[in-house]
Amino acid sequence: MLKSTFTPILWVLFPKPKSSKLSSLILTNTFTNSTQPVRQNASLKHHTPIITSPSSAYIHLPFCRKRCHYCDFPIVALGSASMQMDDDPRVLNYVQWLCREINATKVEFDDKTSLETVFFGGGTPSLVPPRMVSTILETLRMKFGLSENAEISMEMDPGTFDAKKMQEMMVLGVNRVSLGVQAFQEKLLSSCGRAHGLKEVHEAIDIVKSCRVENWSIDLIASLPHQTCEMWEESLKLTIEAQPTHVSVYDLQIEQGTKFGNLYTPGEFPLPSEIQSADFYKMASRMLSDANYNHYEISSYSKSGYECKHNSIYWKYKPFYGFGLGSASFIGGSRFSRPKKLNDYMNFVRNLENGLVDSSAGDHIHGKDIAMDVVMLSLRTARGLDIESFKESYGNSIVFSLLEAYKPYVESGHVICLDEKRKSIRIDELDDYVLNESNTEKRLAYIRLSDPEGFLLSNELISLAFRAIDS
Amino acid sequence: MGYLHKASKTLRQWKYMSSTSFSSFPFIPFTNRITHPRFCSNSRQNNKEQNAIDLNQYPPELVRNFSIIAHVDHGKSTLADRLLELTGTIKKGHGQPQYLDKLQVERERGITVKAQTATMFYKHSVNGDNISDGKESCKFLLNLVDTPGHVDFSYEVSRSLAACQGVLLVVDAAQGVQAQTVANFYLAFESNLTIVPVINKIDQPTANPDLVKAQLKSMFDLDPSDVLLTSAKTGQGLESIIPAVIERIPPPSGSCNSPLRMLLLDSYYDEYKGVICHVAVVDGALRKGDKISTVATGQSYEVFDVGIMHPELKPTGILLTGQVGYVVSGMRSTKEARIGDTIYHTKTAVEPLPGFKPAKHMVFSGLYPADGSDFEALNNAIERLTCNDASVSIAKETSTALGLGFRCGFLGLLHMDVFHQRLEQEYGAHVISTVPTVPYIFEYSDGSKLEVQNPATLPSNPKQKVIACWEPTVLATIIIPSEYVGPVITLVSERRGQQLEHSFIDSQRVFMKYRMPLKEIVIDFYNELKSITSGYASFDYEDADYQQSDLVKLDILLNGQPVDAMATIVHKVKAYRVGRELVEKLKKAIDRQMFEISIQAAIGSKIISRETISALRKNVLAKCYGGDVSRKRKLLEKQKEGKKRMKRVGSVDIPQEAFHELLKVS
Repeated sequence: MLKSTFTPILWVLFPKPKSSKLSSLILTNTFTNSTQPVRQNASLKHHTPIITSPSSAYIHLPFCRKRCHYCDFPIVALGSASMQMDDDPRVLNYVQWLCREINATKVEFDDKTSLETVFFGGGTPSLVPPRMVSTILETLRMKFGLSENAEISMEMDPGTFDAKKMQEMMVLGVNRVSLGVQAFQEKLLSSCGRAHGLKEVHEAIDIVKSCRVENWSIDLIASLPHQTCEMWEESLKLTIEAQPTHVSVYDLQIEQGTKFGNLYTPGEFPLPSEIQSADFYKMASRMLSDANYNHYEISSYSKSGYECKHNSIYWKYKPFYGFGLGSASFIGGSRFSRPKKLNDYMNFVRNLENGLVDSSAGDHIHGKDIAMDVVMLSLRTARGLDIESFKESYGNSIVFSLLEAYKPYVESGHVICLDEKRKSIRIDELDDYVLNESNTEKRLAYIRLSDPEGFLLSNELISLAFRAIDS
Repeated sequence: MGYLHKASKTLRQWKYMSSTSFSSFPFIPFTNRITHPRFCSNSRQNNKEQNAIDLNQYPPELVRNFSIIAHVDHGKSTLADRLLELTGTIKKGHGQPQYLDKLQVERERGITVKAQTATMFYKHSVNGDNISDGKESCKFLLNLVDTPGHVDFSYEVSRSLAACQGVLLVVDAAQGVQAQTVANFYLAFESNLTIVPVINKIDQPTANPDLVKAQLKSMFDLDPSDVLLTSAKTGQGLESIIPAVIERIPPPSGSCNSPLRMLLLDSYYDEYKGVICHVAVVDGALRKGDKISTVATGQSYEVFDVGIMHPELKPTGILLTGQVGYVVSGMRSTKEARIGDTIYHTKTAVEPLPGFKPAKHMVFSGLYPADGSDFEALNNAIERLTCNDASVSIAKETSTALGLGFRCGFLGLLHMDVFHQRLEQEYGAHVISTVPTVPYIFEYSDGSKLEVQNPATLPSNPKQKVIACWEPTVLATIIIPSEYVGPVITLVSERRGQQLEHSFIDSQRVFMKYRMPLKEIVIDFYNELKSITSGYASFDYEDADYQQSDLVKLDILLNGQPVDAMATIVHKVKAYRVGRELVEKLKKAIDRQMFEISIQAAIGSKIISRETISALRKNVLAKCYGGDVSRKRKLLEKQKEGKKRMKRVGSVDIPQEAFHELLKVS
């Protein structure tokens, strides 16, 4: 019964993607424990995301010395010889195209906001000479404005920078460093094709600390080939000892077409078994939590107040610019991915300049698809899905079918239902809470995945939610 | 011009017939009477080639209705092609091979499923003289009914034979008499049809026509001197076939002066014309515009179109005694056209013709839409397909695991397969089918009896004690080279067969007759038999009585919950093995899920087999790189689609493949 009546309701609610209810959802879907500037407020609620101007920009700097064995990213391998990047014409050339793209981007927003976050990702952004980073930041500032206290993050790899370069970057405004350590074992580093060794890891940590970068992250990869439990424990221990404000723990994904993809099959030796891999995840969750890091997103941990603001944009379904090779943007409710090949990218920029393409006119996302995106992204976070705004946007029935699908998993502890005060709701009370409309005290306010069990099976759980939404 | 020439020629011929050799026929003036107005109206309407065919020239004496019967692959359809070419009905090298096999499934599998009819014309000198002598000869009307060779379709065979007076019994020159040769021979023999034995494929290097002649003599008492030798492939000997048909097979015996009686041979639904009935006119004549009724319903229809299959529908405006053709009337659905029914002129009184035995459904299976929401689409497809295949019985049923679906009765397993394939190919339907079952009878202590076509409907823990169970059996005919006797006997006794007969056809080949439970041959018996005999065994069966048997219901439970669509009824002795196999198959077919899944096989409340699928430990995508949400989204979408295709029982998702796997367990 529910199934058959469900679809029409949704379509009545969402005849067009430009529903005004949408923005309320997006805007209220924020982190409770975040300390970010309170830019969103009630008055914005009536704006659609179409005219909400992005306040974040992702900048792709694709250069690497060599390709890591697990990487399937759009990168440009420069070769190990060219340590002196200043002269590399490829880098200079690319940065010029990048700036042309930024300049050619249309800005059609009523409320032009300055950028609050900029994220230099790669590739290896730390290979790019500071003066070129400066050019890019200047271009962004001229084009969009750059907020005084904007979070400017940069992915930096051990062995690609010294204290001088670090300081130069800081002078330019880079105030958050994401250090690509990946592992604390020489053997693992070389076997996954990293361009640096353990010595460079320690040096890099020392540089970041000596330069007094306040907000920095260590990035680790779990489930590498030949990685043992002891190795993983050691990496986590050394990470905690280095005292970064943020830790990202990524699970190795074996991608087709990569060296690892050709060599290994997930779950089979030398990759850890699924059980081991799950244990790695749990170990990270336990050790980092014990060391006072909040597990605020599936693969992110931070000290209180040091969540990555830029990444949070993604989880919150907020718009963002993307510039450079292969980068993705989300503007005015449409997602757009740039070409992954350099020549195609240059053509794209040329066309953009000539007005032949519009990077904000990608795949428009509609009705159910938005609901799915919101569920997918918010369930990655510890905050979870905001039921009230979800209900407001998509109606009761969608929430009911979602809850129906999740009930067995609430019981099994994979999914947690929370009230307004983020107190978890007992399963036997759940029905009362769900049906309660009047009493705000006793109302289902959030659904989240549990840590670590729910997070570990997030793909299963999210696709279950998709099915509930789509049926 | 050509047409005029033809017309004048046929006219002359008719004059010849009426004035000379057939002048004594009482009906000639009658046909003459209707010829005239028809010619007039046609000449104004102009000159379509169809008008060249005037059925009035073919009194029963000039009509031969025959069929080709053979074991599968003995070259029946190819021979039919050659005869169509020889008579100019189809052009040589034009059209597809196996012309009469119209269905895609027939072409793909190289089998004939539906009986098809084609009318041919052939000039033949009446007293056997050569045409080239300059002597005028008669033109004969020949109706060829191509029949399915497979055992499942023997129902179609007997139906086609009802319209025939004789058959060509085709036997492969190398393979000799096979099981279906025997079965088809007896079908024809019992219908009192004239049998013209043809040994085909004599061009093969391994051909041994003399040996085959000897077999035909010893098994069927067919005179070796009557046997025709042909190769449909090279064309050798083909020219002797039609003369033999004309000379040996008697003309239809109906009466031209009696009121109209037609036998409804088959019907199908055409999108443009509506219901098309294939009929054999037994007595009287049928004309366009006539009012007709059927004995079964008494309903009256107007004849909009009548004609012959030449081999495509060709209107003739008339069908006369002994002729076979088609009728388009106002019937809305093929349900109104009951196969075997008698059709007569409205308001006349006729004695109904003996009909056919109704199709007997040997195998039942549940058919469910692969995607639960597609029930309406499947319903539609099944309705339309059964318009063309009336031999399937359909009843709606509901399964807790699979939702709304149908319980379908089939003539056999190939019939079921073909039905599935036609549903998919012709109607684009995606189906899940449940394990095929045969109709069992259970008797309870209070004297009540339950016929079970769906194992799920049999109570697992009945209130009344079961005092007896019966299962249908078949009489199986197996012909094999003698070196395979050992393994075949082993196989048949594993399948609970009782030997009834064991004899030698010749020095190399053995003829065996068994009584076997139908259930045992339903799943994969024929494949097994073929594989242990390197393909040399031939097999056929006819249905026999029910026999008492020790049967139990085998339930499959997932996490303690029985899955109705997976229940089966098995012989007690086999229950443990089948239970273990089913559980093992399921373990392989079901993906790990978030919970541990227990798979059990149970008889009543007794668990006889158990497996466990451990819980999924980890399925997480670590990162949305650079905000590239779409990539992750796609992955999860895919996962969702996978889940959508699954069937949910309790908390367990069962992939469709699991149901397919179960079909393979016997």
